[in-house]
Amino acid sequence: MNHWLSLIVAAPAVAAALLLVLKNEQKLAIRLVSLVGATVSLVGSLVVAAQYDRALGGFQMLESFPLVPSYGIHLKLAVDGWGVALLLLTGIIIVTGVLASWSVPKRDKEFFLLLLVLVAGVFGVFVAQDLFVFFLFYEIAVLPMYLLIGIWGASHDVKAAGPFKYVWKRFAVGGKEYAAMKLTLMLLVGSAAVLVGMLILWNGSGARTFDMQVLENATFSRTAQMWAFPLFWLGFGSLAGVFPFHTWSPDGHASAPTAVSMLHAGVLMKLGAFGVMRIGMVLVPDAAEVWAPLVGTVAVINVLYGAFCAASQTDLKYIVAYSSVSHMGVVMLGAATLTPNGWNGAVYQMVAHGIMTGLFFALVGLVYERAHTRAIAKMGGFAHPMPAVAAFFTLACLSSLGLPGTAGFVAEFLVFVGAAQSEHWWWTIPGVLGAFVTAVYVLRACKSIFWGPAPKGEYAHLQDAQRTEWAAPLVLGSALVLFGFWPRFLLDSIDGASATFLSRVVTVASAPDMETNK
Amino acid sequence: MNALNDPIFLAAVALLAPIGAALLLVVLPFVRHRGAPAAGLCIFGSVLALAAAVKLLFVHHELGDARFAVTWISAVSKPIAEIGLFVDGTSSSMLAVVCLVALCVQVFSVAYMHDEPPRGYGRYFAYHAFFLFSMNAFVLAPNLLQAFAGWELVGLTSYLLIGFYFAKPSAAKAAVKAFWMTKLADMGFLFGLLWLFVATGGFEWTAKLDPTVAVGVTLLLFLAVVGKSAQFPLHIWLPDAMEGPTPVSALLHAATMVAAGVFLIVRADPLFVQAATTQTIMLWIGAFTAVFAACLALVQRDIKKVLAYSTCSQLGYMVAALGAGSAFAGYFHLGTHAFFKALLFLAAGSVIHAVHSNDLADMGGLRKKMPLTTLTFVIGALSLAGIPGLAGFFSKDLVLASLEGRFGWVPWGMLMFSAFLTAFYMGRVLCLAFFGNLSHKAEHAHEAPLSMSGPLIVLAVPSVVAGFFGSTLAHAVGGHYEAHFVGLTPIVASAMALAGLLASIAVYGRNRDARVAGAIEGLDRASAVDRLWELGYRRALLGVSSVLGWIDRYVIDGLMNFTGYTTIEAGAAVRGAQTGRMRHYLVAVVLGAVLVAVMGLVA
Repeated sequence: MNHWLSLIVAAPAVAAALLLVLKNEQKLAIRLVSLVGATVSLVGSLVVAAQYDRALGGFQMLESFPLVPSYGIHLKLAVDGWGVALLLLTGIIIVTGVLASWSVPKRDKEFFLLLLVLVAGVFGVFVAQDLFVFFLFYEIAVLPMYLLIGIWGASHDVKAAGPFKYVWKRFAVGGKEYAAMKLTLMLLVGSAAVLVGMLILWNGSGARTFDMQVLENATFSRTAQMWAFPLFWLGFGSLAGVFPFHTWSPDGHASAPTAVSMLHAGVLMKLGAFGVMRIGMVLVPDAAEVWAPLVGTVAVINVLYGAFCAASQTDLKYIVAYSSVSHMGVVMLGAATLTPNGWNGAVYQMVAHGIMTGLFFALVGLVYERAHTRAIAKMGGFAHPMPAVAAFFTLACLSSLGLPGTAGFVAEFLVFVGAAQSEHWWWTIPGVLGAFVTAVYVLRACKSIFWGPAPKGEYAHLQDAQRTEWAAPLVLGSALVLFGFWPRFLLDSIDGASATFLSRVVTVASAPDMETNK
Repeated sequence: MNALNDPIFLAAVALLAPIGAALLLVVLPFVRHRGAPAAGLCIFGSVLALAAAVKLLFVHHELGDARFAVTWISAVSKPIAEIGLFVDGTSSSMLAVVCLVALCVQVFSVAYMHDEPPRGYGRYFAYHAFFLFSMNAFVLAPNLLQAFAGWELVGLTSYLLIGFYFAKPSAAKAAVKAFWMTKLADMGFLFGLLWLFVATGGFEWTAKLDPTVAVGVTLLLFLAVVGKSAQFPLHIWLPDAMEGPTPVSALLHAATMVAAGVFLIVRADPLFVQAATTQTIMLWIGAFTAVFAACLALVQRDIKKVLAYSTCSQLGYMVAALGAGSAFAGYFHLGTHAFFKALLFLAAGSVIHAVHSNDLADMGGLRKKMPLTTLTFVIGALSLAGIPGLAGFFSKDLVLASLEGRFGWVPWGMLMFSAFLTAFYMGRVLCLAFFGNLSHKAEHAHEAPLSMSGPLIVLAVPSVVAGFFGSTLAHAVGGHYEAHFVGLTPIVASAMALAGLLASIAVYGRNRDARVAGAIEGLDRASAVDRLWELGYRRALLGVSSVLGWIDRYVIDGLMNFTGYTTIEAGAAVRGAQTGRMRHYLVAVVLGAVLVAVMGLVA
């Protein structure tokens, strides 16, 4: 038995604890400790990916410590094919995220501490095999966001208008405190729903355990399932940006500092989708089958609606944030197809979108730090002073619109294949249209920011990427291309897990009693 | 087996040499930024690719078809998609054409682009290397999925190369427009792939389909072809694409990439022959585009735009032939067109380089200053016009012959008329640019250096003789072809070509500013199709998005805010009850107890 998984989870937490003994003035030490903590996790993820036996499949590298045995709670960690891919994603994003926040302006210690605590939670979710521990890690991952946005974030004005104009009396809509509060409240309401769902399972299994493998093999009554699934879908789904509970995302991501946007859009939103699939669909498969048409239909709304909303934005960060709403819709669509291709595509899209949006936010942060504006109308010709940023931004755009040769294509294509194979083939139409609208808004943004005559005046001397700023573009950019040209690096292990999980949903779904219910 | 006789090895070299060059240029910025070494590396890759492609022609002739594929994606441990190499007569001949034209264009670019700063120069050749890889990946695709990947990647290089002068707002706009228009059409390709997969479980070129599925899938694929090969009404991006450097127009927007649409149909012919309805639609769209674009070519002032509309028109010929069920005619015309149109564009580039203008009005009498360019341009123009004996004559004749008697000879007549127009607008370009009096701007013109005129000569040869290789090509792709000079179609076609040339000489030889088609000029200025698309983009797409954006901010998010607001207001409203005085609470407790007691008694 090896301990790579606990190492991956513990490394950022230990680094965070070490930060406590440092002083705020020890800027370099703070950064190095954080970087080492993050790097250990990344290396661990790579080792896990290399050691994971794809031919064998299933859960591997099991570790288990009793936590509260009387309630059936164990700190049980293991990794499956999905976990392999998502651990790697998280490792890549946190290392590049730490490097991208090298120039965080104030209260450095607290910033990196919260960042590391957050990512320890994320790693924990992807390997937890006990529902209680899963939930614990989930909350650890979600809560630091409140402080990270509230303290280090940026505010912007939103004009008071519309049928709910009077709420401006109470909140500064668009402010960083508002954004932090909205995000936290919406996600906590989601967590509450998840908690209720968990208790239904704990009670309904009769085994009085939170062990997910035991719960997987338990049979739940139809009523319990029909209540539990929507709780998981909307509860976890709020973090995945499921329409109409996505509105924390544009404000939250636009307000958050660079590394936080990278982590949040790049990894945290995946926790939501992962929760819906791993807990919602796998543990209560009967209900998943019944609810899938609605899940998929809402998902295509996400895809198309998010893309259109993104096309209407004038603030660069909002464009990227809405594109996440759209792309997470692709993940949920893949999940809702309940087909092997759709599920592979959904998990692959989590990775592809995570890397792509991480790259986007890193570059947007770079541009914002130099130009001090996010209004696209004020930019133009930035490719002259910052060619590398322009090139990597274009690459992110291409993955975003699903160009073959980038990871985004593999993911979207698989999801569309899954949708076409499902009973609801029409889902492909809004899905593919969404990809087209994406092409419109990303290339338009790219053109207005980077193309055109060389900028004059205050923007004439913008610098291209410097030192640590190269890390995110280089690492994330090459990952997009690598995973685009040779998807089997990750897809083979993802496929193993999808097949196993799905066989549960499908065999149950094709049982005779379900047929009569249709 | 000796590696040099292994078709798969040779095809792999043709595919990997350019991407190797491109990758090196990406990861070695110091090579790219120095300019000249980048050109060297790119051209070296293309030379290797061309050598492999030529050798492959012979090897294929001896050994026949070969296929190599690896699993790219699998589901439930079963492969669902493969990538690899497929060598047959069609792909090996197309590969050779593509590599030859690409190499000529790259060599031409060395001198043509020499005024670029080194960084731009390096970037230009990196794009070129990547283009050749993408195009070869498309041509050698063993299935429709890889073809789609190559197809999209050539679209990407097209976008990057049109927007090469990205500081120019018009170039930026044209690049984005080209990408959007083709991407819009490519949704058809994607839907076609999905349908094909659901119907057959694969992406094979030769799948057997139900009649309905066959029509559906091929119509969707054809939609993508309409975009890529600039057929009406998605042709509007191609004239704008002339914003790119002229050699790029020669390679991508005339000889190879835009012809990818035609190649796709040739390749997927086993699917298209199962769908008669699709073929009929193709026939009419092709014939209409051939005439429509030729009309617009009549009135262009920009020499590149004449050639761009001419390309649309010639692609219309190919599409019409494919619609008539004669894949070989379309493919043959694709091949000859690649040579003479690349030649025409490069010669035009040489002229533009010399007079520093695209405008025909600035040219004139260039034959005195640039004899070699003039000679090669004339060869290309006559070949395009279909003068008997030149390459264009044979392939155009075959296209026309395939339409004989179809639909009451109407499409045949349209293409014959278009042949007249073709000769007429090429005659106009010859008169305005090369003959007549020396223009002011042309006074300082001089013949291009050898590195530019060399590729012109290389391309002029097949522009003359490629027609005589029709039967060789037919044999390689498994068909049969014999050249004809006598018969209804060849005679009428020759007459049309000669009449067109003579008519334009009669008109423009006397008066440079003659206006023969006022109505078309009006149509061109209004460019109604363009406006319609613009309207669709601004009103429909951006309109819907701004409405939805507003709704999201003020209604959907407004509801969330409203929930929070109500909670706070409700809290404020009941806060008064928390007075902090013990006697108030005591009263409430007593009243509550009484209420409960009363309720108990009543129940």
